[in-house]
Amino acid sequence: MTHFSDVIALVVSGLASGSAYALLALGIVIIFRSTDAVNFAIGQTGVLALYCATWALSLHVPVAVVLLGSIVIGALLGIATEVAIIRPLGQRRNFSFIALVVTIGLTFLIEALIGATWGHPSRPFPALVSGTVQIGGFAIAWNKVVSTVVALACMGVVAFFFGRTALGTVMRASAEDHFAARIVGLNARRISMLAWALGCGLGTLAMFFLAAEQSLSSTLADHSLFRAFAGVFLGGLTSMAGAVLGGFVIGILDNLAGAYVSPNFRDTIVFGVIIVVLFLRPAGILGAVRKQRV
Amino acid sequence: MSTAKVGLDGYGQLARRLSILFVGGLAVMILSAGVLRGDYAKFLIGSIAFNAITILSISILAGTSGIWSLGHTAFIAIGAYVAANMGAAGYPLEVILPTVICLSALVGYVLGISAGRFSILYFGLLTLAVALTTGEIVGRFSSFTGGDQGLTVAPLKSWIFGRLFTANEAPQVSVALATLAFLAADFVIKGAPGRQWRAVKSQRIASTAIGLTPYLANANALAFSAAIASVGGVATALTVGFLDPLIFDMRAGIMLIVGTVVGGIGAFLGAVVGAFFIVGIPELGRSFQDVAAFVLGASMILVLLVLPRGLAPTLQRWVVKPLVREPGPISTPEPGIAAAESISQLARDLMPACDQPLRISNLSVAFGGLKVLENVSLDVPAGKTVGLIGPNGAGKTTLINVLSGFVASTGCDALSIGDFDLRKAPPQARLKQGIGRTFQHGELFDDLTIRETLFVAAGRRVAASSTKPGLSTAAIVNRILDGLHLRHVADSYPEELPFGVKKVADLARSLAAGARFVALDEPFSGLDRAEIAELRAILAGMKAAGVSILIIDHAVQEVLNITDHIVVLNFGTVLATGSPQEISDNVEVQKAYFGPTFAAKRAQLLHE
Repeated sequence: MTHFSDVIALVVSGLASGSAYALLALGIVIIFRSTDAVNFAIGQTGVLALYCATWALSLHVPVAVVLLGSIVIGALLGIATEVAIIRPLGQRRNFSFIALVVTIGLTFLIEALIGATWGHPSRPFPALVSGTVQIGGFAIAWNKVVSTVVALACMGVVAFFFGRTALGTVMRASAEDHFAARIVGLNARRISMLAWALGCGLGTLAMFFLAAEQSLSSTLADHSLFRAFAGVFLGGLTSMAGAVLGGFVIGILDNLAGAYVSPNFRDTIVFGVIIVVLFLRPAGILGAVRKQRV
Repeated sequence: MSTAKVGLDGYGQLARRLSILFVGGLAVMILSAGVLRGDYAKFLIGSIAFNAITILSISILAGTSGIWSLGHTAFIAIGAYVAANMGAAGYPLEVILPTVICLSALVGYVLGISAGRFSILYFGLLTLAVALTTGEIVGRFSSFTGGDQGLTVAPLKSWIFGRLFTANEAPQVSVALATLAFLAADFVIKGAPGRQWRAVKSQRIASTAIGLTPYLANANALAFSAAIASVGGVATALTVGFLDPLIFDMRAGIMLIVGTVVGGIGAFLGAVVGAFFIVGIPELGRSFQDVAAFVLGASMILVLLVLPRGLAPTLQRWVVKPLVREPGPISTPEPGIAAAESISQLARDLMPACDQPLRISNLSVAFGGLKVLENVSLDVPAGKTVGLIGPNGAGKTTLINVLSGFVASTGCDALSIGDFDLRKAPPQARLKQGIGRTFQHGELFDDLTIRETLFVAAGRRVAASSTKPGLSTAAIVNRILDGLHLRHVADSYPEELPFGVKKVADLARSLAAGARFVALDEPFSGLDRAEIAELRAILAGMKAAGVSILIIDHAVQEVLNITDHIVVLNFGTVLATGSPQEISDNVEVQKAYFGPTFAAKRAQLLHE
């Protein structure tokens, strides 16, 4: 048997990787609630934004500035996606699913673009803070600590934005009922753009920490995206709090399953747990059952 | 005006099946004749064929059940690995195919039972989980799958052809299997099972009113789809000749979804076009990795932006549309006395007499704290017509929904027809007891034409114990189409029809289902004069046939004219009961309907 401290270490490191999943999941939910579109390209958009920011790294721009710059680029890419390929889809049957497939197409497109411009081999990416820190007797990378703290801070900001500000309230109202929102004169276009900017910005942040932990490559998003989706479904596609919770739970679960059961059956165990949860609560832990919607 | 029809959609069905055979046969002949130089072209055709099978399996599931599966790679894997292992053990194709079909169908059935619990995206995730699990299992059970090293597929033998199918002949076999799969899908999807699945897909709740069981329909559809996918797996094993776990990974599953959506959901031609797309486009840019991915991504986005229904249905529309005849006038002619008599005759012929009373005793329903019905009792004596009237919010529709099993009662002493207790019976079991209904808004099946809807309903007669024998399904459908002037809209979908026609079609559906007790939810609302006359004639015919009727409507005069007995509901309780004459004279009823002032005035006027 392993020691209790090992469990703590696994949970802490699970929380760290979970913070990336939670950020992605939050982005997915924000976009889905506002536009009914499932953005499969959210991670890949973030990766593209990071590649765009790499030229600044060669100019020895501080990493924190690069991070902010890449988030802005990610947000702009999100807006471009919404305007160029999601909005023109219009209202149609199976919209959510069609949007999903269209954004799958976008991931192929971005992957090809990155390959053609920067090449496929992965490249190192700097962390905000490098090195490791000793916490309670075991070493953990600063990057993980910082990513967890920054992610939590960002989630706090997002919670404040949606809960306390006028614009956030308007966005929540619009998410509840797009049609009614338009009737009372809310600008649906601007809200959609804002949601995509916010979602893809969060996605870029998640990718930034993952790139620092591993390295930057065109396939960086693949692994974490499925974890993020698992978190989204676990928490509920319509609940922001649920998605964040789901992301963290998946991170921890993944780590524990890999260590204690079998590293070969990680996916099976993670999804097995989700299936059990979904059978008990078909719309996720915090999700609302909205028939005909999804 | 009645024309004899060959099948459900006439010669179109035969033409479609013959063209599947023709295209498949032609492809096999071309492949066998050695016209194609080199193995590469043959391999491509074989690949398109097996991808067409698997895309078809996903596409028909989405098209007929609204279920999207990302996990069909699991069924393909079952087909491929079982074929490889059984083939190596010396079993012929004729044994392998039934084995993989049964195995996959079983897994699909179990998976399908739960499908209704989840929304489309969530079920997609569940199937994704199945796919991921498959990947890990394939990686681990290397004795069966060769693990990550892969597994070489030995040539499979065939009893019927008395020989081995080598790698050289694999593409032909793949095309032949595709042809068989498409034919099988055509029989099932365009046939009775497919119509039932589409009915459940478009109106999950309303479909139970004609005796369909949604979760079983989903399970059957997924079982069938899984079986087709596993045949695709056998074709894959044959054509590729070497099973790399990558064939069954997530990316492969996503590519199949891409092929489905780009080709066109639910379209047979779409499956072939989709297969061309996902095989062809990466091949085009084979030597340039990024070019292939770029073209694939860009064309996916473009196709879906420009051609919303996918490639095949849009192309079909461009080609076929000019050939389609203009639909006739939508309006119904107002029936004369003779026509009204023939409509009643139709109802008399199709509807069985009811010889048992329906009893509702002390029924209460509450939604949360809101009491919708409170201790309501009413009887519909055998063969009688009872009207249920009351202002909006009185609980009338809720009462019918309890009767149909859509809404659970919070308290009920008795809900029975004859000796049969309906309280515990699921909605789909009620037609079996002869209980049918219509809906306030028609609630037709969006994915079925009017003709198909009637076919489904008439096909359920077998399940209903109380129907009249001696009429074939097709005969019933044809009589209704002609009798209710629905022939000219028979091949239209509900969305193309005006409200009144939809309501008549809903009534037609309950005629086709042949219940002995019919609950009608506001049948008069939204009808024009001609349609009202038609409805009156149908009701007269039903009465004459001895059908028990419970009718709700705000067209009080119509209800008073046709009923034997009236129950008035107000705020969930019975306000009054009596004969039509008693009710029209009842001051309390007038107050509830028109307010106290009007009631007083009316009394005063009558008094003077």
